[in-house]
Amino acid sequence: MTARRKSPSKPLKKTLPLLILAGPGLLYFLINSYFPMFGVFIAFKDVNYAKGIFGSDWIGFKNFAFLFQTSDAWIMTRNTLLYNLAFIALGTIVSIIIAILMSELLNKLYSKLFMTGLILPNLISMIVLSLLVFAFLNADSGFVNHSILRPLGIPEINWYSEAKYWPYLLVLIQIWKTAGYGSIVYFASIAGIDKSIYESAKIDGAGKLKQIRMITLPLLKPTIIVLVLMSMGRIFNSDFGLFYQVPMNSGALYSTTQTIDTYVYRALMQLNDIGMSAAAGLYQSLVGFALVLTVNAIVKKVNPENALF
Amino acid sequence: MKNKGLGSLLLSMVICGSLLSACGGNSNTSSKNSGDTEAKAKVAEIVFALPSFNRIPDDLSKVTNAINAITTEKIGVKVDFRLFGPADYAQKVNLALQSGEKMDVFTTLGQFSNYVSKSQVAPLEELLPEHGKELTAILDKDFGPDILKTTTMDGHIYGIPVNKGMALPTNIIYNADMLAEAGVAADSIQSVEDLPAVFGAVKQKLPDVVPFGPINVNPTDTGLVNWMKGASKVDYLTDTTGVGVVIGDNGKVVNFYESDVFKNGIQMMRDWFEAGYLQKDTATTTITAMEMVSSGRGFSFLGGYSGMEVGKQLSAQVGKNIETKRIAPFYFDTSAVNSVTWMVSSTSKETEAAVKFLNLLYTDKELINTILFGIEGEDYLKVDEHHVKFPEGMDANTVPYTAMLSSGIVGSESLQYQLEGIDWSDVELKLKENKDTARSPYFGFIFDQGQVKTQISAVNNVVSQFLPALVSGSVDPETIIPKFISALKDAGAEAIIDSKQQQLDAWLAAQQQ
Repeated sequence: MTARRKSPSKPLKKTLPLLILAGPGLLYFLINSYFPMFGVFIAFKDVNYAKGIFGSDWIGFKNFAFLFQTSDAWIMTRNTLLYNLAFIALGTIVSIIIAILMSELLNKLYSKLFMTGLILPNLISMIVLSLLVFAFLNADSGFVNHSILRPLGIPEINWYSEAKYWPYLLVLIQIWKTAGYGSIVYFASIAGIDKSIYESAKIDGAGKLKQIRMITLPLLKPTIIVLVLMSMGRIFNSDFGLFYQVPMNSGALYSTTQTIDTYVYRALMQLNDIGMSAAAGLYQSLVGFALVLTVNAIVKKVNPENALF
Repeated sequence: MKNKGLGSLLLSMVICGSLLSACGGNSNTSSKNSGDTEAKAKVAEIVFALPSFNRIPDDLSKVTNAINAITTEKIGVKVDFRLFGPADYAQKVNLALQSGEKMDVFTTLGQFSNYVSKSQVAPLEELLPEHGKELTAILDKDFGPDILKTTTMDGHIYGIPVNKGMALPTNIIYNADMLAEAGVAADSIQSVEDLPAVFGAVKQKLPDVVPFGPINVNPTDTGLVNWMKGASKVDYLTDTTGVGVVIGDNGKVVNFYESDVFKNGIQMMRDWFEAGYLQKDTATTTITAMEMVSSGRGFSFLGGYSGMEVGKQLSAQVGKNIETKRIAPFYFDTSAVNSVTWMVSSTSKETEAAVKFLNLLYTDKELINTILFGIEGEDYLKVDEHHVKFPEGMDANTVPYTAMLSSGIVGSESLQYQLEGIDWSDVELKLKENKDTARSPYFGFIFDQGQVKTQISAVNNVVSQFLPALVSGSVDPETIIPKFISALKDAGAEAIIDSKQQQLDAWLAAQQQ
């Protein structure tokens, strides 16, 4: 009787301080992530400031038309999707390779030194990065033309007018910038693997590559799936700095550098129409949301324990 | 066990409490403001936002008090004076307009018709006869009675264009010392056809100098389009896409990029590019010609400037001996006049007070010069009736307050002080050119983009894709212009042209009545 009376109240007493402590964080999250969802209305309104947002006329899907009505729609969608798929695939592979190599470093000093060097690119502003790239690729004085091609007598390339090089350049730049930072999560996962498994495998005659293939990679699978699923949510978004600043907004490159975000920016620079920009944001979010649900459903069917929800 | 839980509870409540107390400060501030408003009910309060191209001072209270000494006495209006840098201005003003924050008097910095189409600005035609008599009188005197046509849509006057020398003929701006060193006489420059010979001489004599550069970058603008507009009487009909213009006076709306005027202009720039007068990376460079000239690595650029004294101002600005030569006349279309327009917010509760203030802003010499130059004796010194200078040992960057670089967007130029050294007759010339410069027959027409927003957005992308490379001569016009035209049609250019033609025809019919 006494024990029974005490046990119901115990959880409340124990969790109340934590709940109160979490209060500001939950409030912050609510304000910053849920209240802005009212902005969805803007995508369906012909915004008139004298009437206010909620008083403006409904116009159905008119604000979405500019995203689909021309041949640019195909180009920007193709570019956005393919670049993101390349970034996810190559980014994941390179990050895992870096993490595995880092985990084999037993000297802590080297480990810290290399990790710092690998993470540094992620801290560089995209504006600064665009000027670093410019220093390499400028037609007259860039390092590539001026110090490599010209001395070798190879015809110089006007990089900012040749679209065919930019799929490779952008992917290379993105991987350089983000793979080091992306490897941290994998590095942490590898550090969490029970070392005795490796010792057992070694006793049974497994070499280093076999250990990696049979132990490290299978145990990383849940982390890989979670991170890829999260990336799917933003597959229709692009890094504005990478696609607008790094190519120096060169018109000759649009066929390979135009993405949904850059298109919307250029399209609405003069119109200043927040209904159309809200429509673009909503479209990107809905596609991301649908993709996360779809991919998660597939993962759940194939390997239930690794699904996000 | 119990004590431990209690301690955690108290600690977390303290943390939450300290977080919430930080929010309390804001409500105190707003309470104070409310008190002020009640206490001064007889004096109307307005917010006046000005872009400044000078350093923004930390403390505006002295200048604000000087402004209010004039406005409260003359019109019973108290001004909350806000100063923003050029990069911030549009963002801060738009944010205030969208959020409903008090913002009464502001200027466009371009794109007049978009403010109207979103109902962000108040109609003024009923207030001007009563509260803006002196304002309309000085506009008539300095420009002409049709100036307000450029800010009239559907019968409503939505703004007041700044009152200044509006004619901006295309000049070649060049380093006079380099010209002399190249052995060329300034008199040999009479038109754009004379420039290649000048560039060739400069390049030969000074091989490390770039003869010609862009006046603007990102996207690159060599001033070529403005030259074409003036030289060939092209009216863009108020949007900036170039799709849907009238060339001359035939009333027919055409695609500018299909015209011979455009093709010939681009071919000229292509010739310059291939002769090496422009840098190879002009289409994507981030360095303007002004910066090149300042560093001694650039010789010249094209720009539109009013009057004849601009060379002196640019010399002071870049630290080189700069001269200018006009190479094309200006051509007045609607955008030339309404691109800087003062407006009153549609949500303003003090529209009468705002119009009274605008009336003073255009006609009160003391107010205009207080806003531009600050306080006499502290921020500037009077030299004579028309000229001022900085106090001893100070310049534009060290004086407590100046907004002198905003002279092109404030009030009436004919009432502004000029810096010492500027010939006053130049102001008189500018006013004369307001009257003498050729005007488009479609002066006053404003295109309402509402029906073709989708096409406008697509065309904007195509133009930003092709135009910078074309106007910098970086690509072969024979192959690229057809692609450009094809992409424009695909983006819906024909719909824009049809819409403009329809609106222009209706506007012309209305002018006959």
